[in-house]
Amino acid sequence: MIPRRFLSLILFLGLILQGAAARADFDVSTVKGPHIKDLYMVIYRDPDSQMLALQKGELDVLGDIARPSDVDRLASNQEVSLSISRGFHLFFMGFNLRKEPWNDRALRQAAAMAVPSRQIVRDIFSGYSEPVDTYLPPVSPYYEPDVTVHEHDPAKARQTLAEAGWKWSTEGTLIPPDGDRPLKAVKLLSPTAQVAPTTAEISNRIAEALKSIGIPLSVEPLDFSSMISRLDRHDFDLFVMAWSLSRDPDSLFAFFHSSMDVPGGYNIQGLHDPELDKVLEELRWAPDEEAAGEAARKAQRMLSDISPWIPIYSRYMVAAVRNEWEGVVSTRSTSADNLWTLLNMRPLQGGERPVLWCLSEEPRSLNPLGTSSAYDWQVLALVYEGLIAVDPETLGDIPWLATDWKVETVDGGGGPHTRLTFALREGVRWQDGLPFTSRDVRKTLEFLKEHEIPRYYDNVRDIERIDTPDDHTVIVTMGNVSYWHLHNIGGSPVFPAHLLESIKDWETWQPARETHPSEKGLTNLVGTGPFVFMEYRPGEFVHLVRNEDFWLLGGD
Amino acid sequence: MRSYWTKRVLGAAAVLLLVIAANFFLFRIMPGDVVSTIVDPRFSPEAKERMREVFGLDLPLGRQFVIYVRRMLTFDFGISFLSQRPVWDELKSRVPNTVALLGSALVLSSALGTWLGVKAARKRGGFTEKVVLLSGSVSFSFPSFFVQLVLLLLFAYTFPLFPLRGSVSIPLPEAGAARVLDYLWHLLLPAGSLVLLGFGSWAIYVRNLMVKTLGEDFILMARAKGLPDGRVLWNHAFRSALPPVLTLFLLALPGIVSGAVLTETVFSLHGVGKYLLDSIMGHDYPAAGAAFYILGLLTIASNLAADAAYALADPRIRVGGRVQS
Repeated sequence: MIPRRFLSLILFLGLILQGAAARADFDVSTVKGPHIKDLYMVIYRDPDSQMLALQKGELDVLGDIARPSDVDRLASNQEVSLSISRGFHLFFMGFNLRKEPWNDRALRQAAAMAVPSRQIVRDIFSGYSEPVDTYLPPVSPYYEPDVTVHEHDPAKARQTLAEAGWKWSTEGTLIPPDGDRPLKAVKLLSPTAQVAPTTAEISNRIAEALKSIGIPLSVEPLDFSSMISRLDRHDFDLFVMAWSLSRDPDSLFAFFHSSMDVPGGYNIQGLHDPELDKVLEELRWAPDEEAAGEAARKAQRMLSDISPWIPIYSRYMVAAVRNEWEGVVSTRSTSADNLWTLLNMRPLQGGERPVLWCLSEEPRSLNPLGTSSAYDWQVLALVYEGLIAVDPETLGDIPWLATDWKVETVDGGGGPHTRLTFALREGVRWQDGLPFTSRDVRKTLEFLKEHEIPRYYDNVRDIERIDTPDDHTVIVTMGNVSYWHLHNIGGSPVFPAHLLESIKDWETWQPARETHPSEKGLTNLVGTGPFVFMEYRPGEFVHLVRNEDFWLLGGD
Repeated sequence: MRSYWTKRVLGAAAVLLLVIAANFFLFRIMPGDVVSTIVDPRFSPEAKERMREVFGLDLPLGRQFVIYVRRMLTFDFGISFLSQRPVWDELKSRVPNTVALLGSALVLSSALGTWLGVKAARKRGGFTEKVVLLSGSVSFSFPSFFVQLVLLLLFAYTFPLFPLRGSVSIPLPEAGAARVLDYLWHLLLPAGSLVLLGFGSWAIYVRNLMVKTLGEDFILMARAKGLPDGRVLWNHAFRSALPPVLTLFLLALPGIVSGAVLTETVFSLHGVGKYLLDSIMGHDYPAAGAAFYILGLLTIASNLAADAAYALADPRIRVGGRVQS
């Protein structure tokens, strides 16, 4: 009898192999779509209802399937295909380095050796997550595998502590090298089991492991707000947390640079290391991708020695699509619930039918200027586009509204600057029929900078000058040097200049509820993207239809 | 009589002011604020500070309180932090679904429960009483989400008699009768589940009241006078037991606006309950403050209505201290 967790592992490996075979002949440049005419993003909040709907055929696409039992159930369903990819997700345990004893590197490294991360991940996730040893998820193009790995070895953990001068009391509690009293009881801040059962379980397992080497640790379950508040006040010893990251590694700067140890900053653990700061600055202000990559890898190697966190695991992203559809796109780094699938999918039996896509939360405002909700952006990303896009396989930059671009470091007043030159795609039209030009890009960037809109604040604040020598060229000169300006500017959505001018108050702008001034049937939610917004019925669905003027539409 | 009602109304106004103040301060003493819950490395500390300015959270607390009280008293609830839409619009889009669901469930479960409760009391140890006691225990023993998920599995998936989610079909049926019928079809399973979960407690409550009342001397007197059994039961015993039932019903009324988080989640319904929970969890002060203010108003109004209903239900009771017997 094969134990259940190994069955899951075998199943998972099978899915990965199956996915690899399926995507072998996928080429981004061949995509011409969308082929589907109607898209309903249906709101299902309860995971059990989502599963029933998918199995009953009331949903065609379901993403972000997190429960191993659901994956197992769907894997044996002949009517559904699963896709699994690595995710930009990282779960870790952090120390408060501002206080003793956590400012002792030997103690942190010993703690890392005491925690059986791989065993925990295997037991809890049955193969649907992968253990990590470094500070970026393995899917990242900047992931560095060659780091100091603190393998699970409690004996070595004790030896490391003994060599650093730590002793043990008769009760087995650790005594610091320069002290004679055992450590006081400490707490590991963790979300409650009601809110995050797996995280709570992992916290308990970590606490048990650290107790075994003499750290008197127990778990303190807290609701999310209370936990964040405690972390902001630096009122903690240890904490567990997960980050949802992007493909750019400059999050390392936000997490570990000493300048980010401020209220509202993300250097929660309070790491101050001048050597590391220098490398992180090289990463943040890298002039080109090569320098950025080198700095990112070096930073990970240094961090694995400093050990401000114990990285635990990175979650796989699982999505399911009903087999009535063909053309589904999934890669090692992108699960099937993505824009490429929507551009490429069509009914297997031919004909027309709407796609029913699961939206697992209510959109909040559908205001592309104000919202920070991921659910709003699932809709908005189908309407608005940026100048560059991300290849779903390589995660590299690919042309989108810009067909070409150049990143240069130029000299100017006050030192070197990054200059970005974008050549815009010709023949693109807004969904209300007006042509898309360099004026739209300039007006968008000026609007975002002038109003200091929080969501885009970090992307545009360093813009020094924008030139539009003709309708299809935009030159953006930044006030400093950084390769990431390309992604910040090129990845920001572009809005139509003619509608931006009519916005009275960006904070309360409700484009999805405003009737378009000239085009019947349209709202002011107008972009250049593959789908046109038609209706949002609160609590029920968002309805979009194919943009018949979409520039990538090749016809069936 | 007039002075009694003046006192009651003044008391209600004082409670309302307390509700306003509590709404403001309770939310602010919760750890963190709407901006601190944004944990995203793409939002720098400067961007978060800018967001606090946008929401007016950088103003002194006293100034925020004055703005808040003015808004509550003028029913201008402002803009939701999370949706950036007027709070009124948010509530208006949710209240009809919630009232339709919980209102119909309350009326049906209380009516069914009351009828069964009276029947159970009439014949002690009989079949109806056993059903009432069992259904009351069962509805108390099972978590509502479990019962609802089982019903969903049975009647929307295995035997697909009802839809799995929401209050409309996709695509939408034609406007008119077809859409009304479609709405009712969507409402049946969630409302039915609430009736199933709710009627037992009403039945047990009414049964207990009626058992006590039926043992009173005036019932013996009525029977001794030779009055028909039905008349004794409904005109004498039930009328006597009615005021507490009526009070319970009226005090349950605000609940039909506050929503049912689990039911809304299981059946993917767009209602007030989930909105209220999200507003609290997300520190959306304008939304949560307005919702609790309205609930406070409804609770106070229901209390006053319950006082008035006592007098209507039982002529022996006269508010203001005079009791006739």
